[in-house]
Amino acid sequence: MPKLTLFVQIQGQPNIVEVAVDERANESEIHKALLEAGLTIGSDQFVFIDESDEPLSAQGNRPAAEVKQGTRVHVARCRRIKVTVNYLDRTISQEFAPGVRVRSVKKWAMKEFELDRKDAAEHVLQLCNSTERPTSDTPLHSLVRDNDCAVCFDLVPEIRVEG
Amino acid sequence: MTVKPPDQLLLEQDLAAAEFRCGELEGRWRHVLTAWPNVVISVAAAPRQNGPTEYAFRFDCTGYREAAVTGQPWNAETNSPLAHKDWPTGRSIVPSIFRPGWKDGQCLYLPCDRMSIQGHDNWRNVHPERLWNPARGIICYLEQIYDLINSNDYTGPIGA
Repeated sequence: MPKLTLFVQIQGQPNIVEVAVDERANESEIHKALLEAGLTIGSDQFVFIDESDEPLSAQGNRPAAEVKQGTRVHVARCRRIKVTVNYLDRTISQEFAPGVRVRSVKKWAMKEFELDRKDAAEHVLQLCNSTERPTSDTPLHSLVRDNDCAVCFDLVPEIRVEG
Repeated sequence: MTVKPPDQLLLEQDLAAAEFRCGELEGRWRHVLTAWPNVVISVAAAPRQNGPTEYAFRFDCTGYREAAVTGQPWNAETNSPLAHKDWPTGRSIVPSIFRPGWKDGQCLYLPCDRMSIQGHDNWRNVHPERLWNPARGIICYLEQIYDLINSNDYTGPIGA
């Protein structure tokens, strides 16, 4: 059976691991492929396909239809991540799956703050109390620093490169 | 047998690494060619009227990865610098970085660029997130380009 390459990101580890799975692998077969690739999946960890809301079941036989060549898989301690975004004097919060990317969080925040396309172009998400501005493809779990399964952003103006 | 220099070996290692391949399979960028010390990589762009699906960049990787690379918009078909009218532009942030008039179009006005950082020590404080990161190598440059030409600020090529 043809193989697909998946890119696995593990919460707390900076590197990406490549894993090959059968093209029509179901949930449990994906789990098995991760273990066979040498990854450890503890009982307190969840496996998510890309930005999916629900984790895979280790015993599930449901076809993982959303898996295709190059799909990202996330192994996370957090089942959900509480995201807080501050903008001017307003603060919004919502829980997201750990594989949700910064791009999706920004889109949600722009909608909640009722900011238009032009405003979106001129603002970026910056981690609270830092100068770190994660790129749009960054999954949320890679930004969790403590064990609280939470990420705080400030929505700040993008700075033109000048000087 | 020709022995490859360490900087070339490091670049080849990074182009074969999962982080770069992940970007390729997700359609964010693709390796076009390597003619050491240069590598040409195309980066996907958001659809815009009369805009291309991707822009190519030629990176000079001398001294990789301790030394930053320098990147120039490139015409991959003619293997020559991209005409200034074909450079990407936008409303505010994108044109502050894609400046054909800067250094005669030899590099992007980015803090992670080896040529542009020279003489811009203040950028280390003003744009820490845009600096070259030797641990991440060329990925940190590609991610910035990708985010710029896929942002709402990007409007297409200058001459569109």
